[in-house]
Amino acid sequence: MDTGSQRLSLDELSLLRWLLGGVLMLLSISAVFYMDVGGGVMAALAAAGVIAALVRPDWPARVPALVHRLAFPAIVAFFIGDIWVTGQPLPAIVRLDLLLILYRGASYRARRDDLQVVVIGLFLIVVSGVLTVSILFAAQIMAFTACALALLMVVTIATAAEGGAAPKLAVRGVVPHWAARVDWRGLMRRLAEASDWRLIASGAALFLGVVASSALLFLAIPRFQLENSLFLERFVVRRAMSGFNDSIKFGDITEITDDDSVAFNADISDPGQAPADPYWRMVVLDAYSNGGFRMSPRTRYGYGLVGQRTGANIYPPPPAPGGPSWTIFMESGVSRYLPLLGPFRVLRFREAQNYHYSPDLEVISLVEEPASMTAYRVEGMPADGAPIPDRAFAASYARHGRLALMDTTLAGVSQGDRRVLARIAAGIGDARVLGARAFAGKAIAALRRDHQYSQEPRYPPGPGDPLVRWMDSRDQGHCELFAGSLVLMARAAGLPARVVTGFRGGTWNAYSGNYMIRNSDAHAWTEIWDEHAQAWLREDPLGSAVDGLAGSEKGDAALAALMDRSWSARLASLRVFWYRRIVNFDQQDQAQTLSAVKAAGDNSGRWLRSVLLELGSRARGWATGPWNAGKIGRLLGALAAAAVLFHVLALGRWRLPALGGRRGTDPVRREAGRWLRRVEGPEALVLDLQRIRYGPAPTWPRPADVFRRARRAASSRPRRGAPSRNTS
Amino acid sequence: MKAGATARRPFWRRVLWNLVWPRRRERTQPTVSGLVLMGLAFGIGTAAYNSASNILFIALALLLSCLILSGVLAWLNLRGVDWALEISPPLRAGQEAGVGLRLDNRKAFLPTYALWFDFAARPVPLGEPPRPESTLTAKGIDVWAALRRSEEPEASGTVHMRSRLEPGGHAMLEWAFTPARRGLMRVDLVGVGSLFPFGFLRKFAGAGLRREVPVWPAPVEYRRLAGASPRRAEGDLRRARAGHEGEMIALRQYEPGDSHRLIHWKASARSRELLIRQFSAHNSEACTMVLSPDAEVWTRPEQFELLVSFAATLAQDLFRAGRLKATAIGGARPLPVRRAADVDSFLDRLAVVMPQPPADGPAGEADRPARAGQNVLTFEPEGARGVGAYANGHRIAAT
Repeated sequence: MDTGSQRLSLDELSLLRWLLGGVLMLLSISAVFYMDVGGGVMAALAAAGVIAALVRPDWPARVPALVHRLAFPAIVAFFIGDIWVTGQPLPAIVRLDLLLILYRGASYRARRDDLQVVVIGLFLIVVSGVLTVSILFAAQIMAFTACALALLMVVTIATAAEGGAAPKLAVRGVVPHWAARVDWRGLMRRLAEASDWRLIASGAALFLGVVASSALLFLAIPRFQLENSLFLERFVVRRAMSGFNDSIKFGDITEITDDDSVAFNADISDPGQAPADPYWRMVVLDAYSNGGFRMSPRTRYGYGLVGQRTGANIYPPPPAPGGPSWTIFMESGVSRYLPLLGPFRVLRFREAQNYHYSPDLEVISLVEEPASMTAYRVEGMPADGAPIPDRAFAASYARHGRLALMDTTLAGVSQGDRRVLARIAAGIGDARVLGARAFAGKAIAALRRDHQYSQEPRYPPGPGDPLVRWMDSRDQGHCELFAGSLVLMARAAGLPARVVTGFRGGTWNAYSGNYMIRNSDAHAWTEIWDEHAQAWLREDPLGSAVDGLAGSEKGDAALAALMDRSWSARLASLRVFWYRRIVNFDQQDQAQTLSAVKAAGDNSGRWLRSVLLELGSRARGWATGPWNAGKIGRLLGALAAAAVLFHVLALGRWRLPALGGRRGTDPVRREAGRWLRRVEGPEALVLDLQRIRYGPAPTWPRPADVFRRARRAASSRPRRGAPSRNTS
Repeated sequence: MKAGATARRPFWRRVLWNLVWPRRRERTQPTVSGLVLMGLAFGIGTAAYNSASNILFIALALLLSCLILSGVLAWLNLRGVDWALEISPPLRAGQEAGVGLRLDNRKAFLPTYALWFDFAARPVPLGEPPRPESTLTAKGIDVWAALRRSEEPEASGTVHMRSRLEPGGHAMLEWAFTPARRGLMRVDLVGVGSLFPFGFLRKFAGAGLRREVPVWPAPVEYRRLAGASPRRAEGDLRRARAGHEGEMIALRQYEPGDSHRLIHWKASARSRELLIRQFSAHNSEACTMVLSPDAEVWTRPEQFELLVSFAATLAQDLFRAGRLKATAIGGARPLPVRRAADVDSFLDRLAVVMPQPPADGPAGEADRPARAGQNVLTFEPEGARGVGAYANGHRIAAT
């Protein structure tokens, strides 16, 4: 068999196998960092171990045999202990996988061990993808697939190179030959020598083929959901990462605004109705005490936020009159409360969820904190900021007054502070005369007259309630202080009021065409009960003071002001594409895609038919027209070109030139040719170079040695024009 | 010989037909890795349908496309590769023989990796085919056992292509085996297999290559009896015949097996082809070897085998010594021995000779040399096991 020196030797293949296995393990470990399963430290240790073994492949031979003997019992014991202590199977399995990876990374592997590494790595990446639903999963699985396929291919080739025997496991304590002296740079050079552009192009084409066929399979795999019986997320205990909870202290929202990452993306079905300044309601807080609002148990029980419901669709009892449809992709860790603009007709989850829902409160909270992106579609949800009707509160308020369904009292405020509040409220006017909206307008004007908006609030020192002290001062403050102050002022004036937290505004991603709401858009505002309208009025003490937006604009005019064309928007558009087209892909989308493909096929067929008919009629006209020498020449030229094309394509008589060189010449031969032009002796060297340049490859001396001799000969030769030693 | 000799059906019909009715010995089996991959795909698919998670659907699609890609690459790997058996006789019983396999990659773009080739060699039954027997009364297991026995090769082996076969390149592989006995040996390239590219599938392609080659009898040791030699012919002692001694009488073209010492270099250089010198031998002790496979004389099969081996060894030794004039088997007319190819032809015949019943009627052509007063070398049994060689009735060698 022709075995030119450009082929990789068995040692080089073994080293390549080691490298690919190490990279595969590092990719798998990297997936653990995105999972919130408490395996960060172990992942870092495993990564360090694998990197150390990659850098020094001779180290595993120095691990005492006792360690190898005890490794598996110890790993199994650790796993059992882990489950027993934590009671969480999935994190325990992830940690078990990390230990196995560490062990495999720090010991020489046989073929079945490589397979184990691939399986463990795939498990980690898939689990990470399912838990996070991050676009990073796409990159990770692609890199992992490429690496795993390359590793398996190298194992197959190495097996063939060993005459069919699987790569041998090194004897413990003995450094294998390939690991004794590792030269990664040399391996890369040899890889470059051994692979020509055709091979690389074929590999790239095949990998693209895998991606394309995967995409087609993904689109074509029939979707029918059996039951939602497997939720991987259930095996993990999650914790909220944001401050959107059912109790906030002043400053919580401001902390969230320090985070500039995307909280959620929102698609709107009709961009013509896109508002300039949407308010995304999440949590309603009523009870106030000592500088903080929380959702009172009265509200929680009274509005039915205790009873758990399960399902994929939510239909409010009185459906909203109508409005555009919104698809919201909420990132993990934002909150278990879902952002909503107000009343809606129907809300659909991607899959069945356990949730709490109060139609009167217009609040939906998931039972579990979502660890991955949560997608839901809300149909018929207008974004006009209309008052939110609350029949339950209206009935209760009519019967019980201030001790209604919701805690709208000043129970958490001392008598002294109540007097201060009464004084401030009296300065605004009589709420019963003014009405809720007018009172709110005057109160807001007073607040904005006395206080500046600032992310760094100042509280005047002294005894009593901090919020009342701030209201009675002229210090600057953030949205929570403004909203809380308005609530207390309204309550002091006899109007039920509450704080609502959520997000306000956002930007319009010019690339993906959707709202992009960042954590920095977190906001708090006030809702005041309007007895006449039997609804809650949204009153934002900061109004357009934050960014000067006019809240009434809609459509293109509104979006023009929100347009974001930054690089981060470009990256976010990729994420939205991932959510829209991949994560959110369902049976309906599949049917739509197939219809679109069919329609595109029909259109293409029609277009092709019309083009062919047009060409045919032109050809007919050309043929029936007058003939002359030029026309005959053109015809002959076209026939000749067609013949050449047929010769080139159909008969396969084509050879593409090698990159950067002459047609099909071996790079080693070319190198020998270059040295032949440069050196003139000694004769043995010239003969060796000629043999490499022109002779059959099996008879070659080792080219690297010959080229080294040639280099030495060339450097010792006197330079052209330089005087020789013998001349004086 | 083309890889996978193709039927003349259109491509798609061929593919569909192969799915329904695969060609003999053409199969694809999953390996352990492949089974693991399929198990993973099944598990992930079940989880995907249970949870409607598109992440799991993506993983499932990737696994399935890897399996498809594996099949496509395996097909591409085998496509365009030609193989041909090259067996260069002589094959000799008891001696290692090499079976060459020439590989040609006709693909212009892609190399071929990691093929292996399964070889088998089985003797071709000599003599009359056995009479068919009814299997009506035989048990099924016995019939299957008999069929399996008939399929069992005498020797089999696998040769791996250790490095890649470049596009447009060729390679030579060799399988070595040792034939146990003389006869006609059928060497089969049973199949071509590959684990390429990822080791998920073990793909076999039926090669359908077969060559029948004679296996010469094994050489034996024998005793040359002192003082015993064929007598000289009466009268003129010098006879011109091809040999290594005497005057050069002619030049002829080189043939494989000729000694290089006999090449006439000067004449060869002039005519630009290798020419061999032919001499007039001074030898008048040349003899005609006559082997009689008389079944009544050679009643013991092992003794007959010894006879054949002895005759083959002696024929080669006599030819090297320039003392073999002609050879004959049974009552056939003696064939002259002028060059190495004539000895090879004799050994080919010896490879397949079987005991024959004695011919009735007048003696054949074999005793013509004796009638002409030439030296005749014959064989007779010696005891229960031995064989003796007789020149004109004088015992000259024995096993």
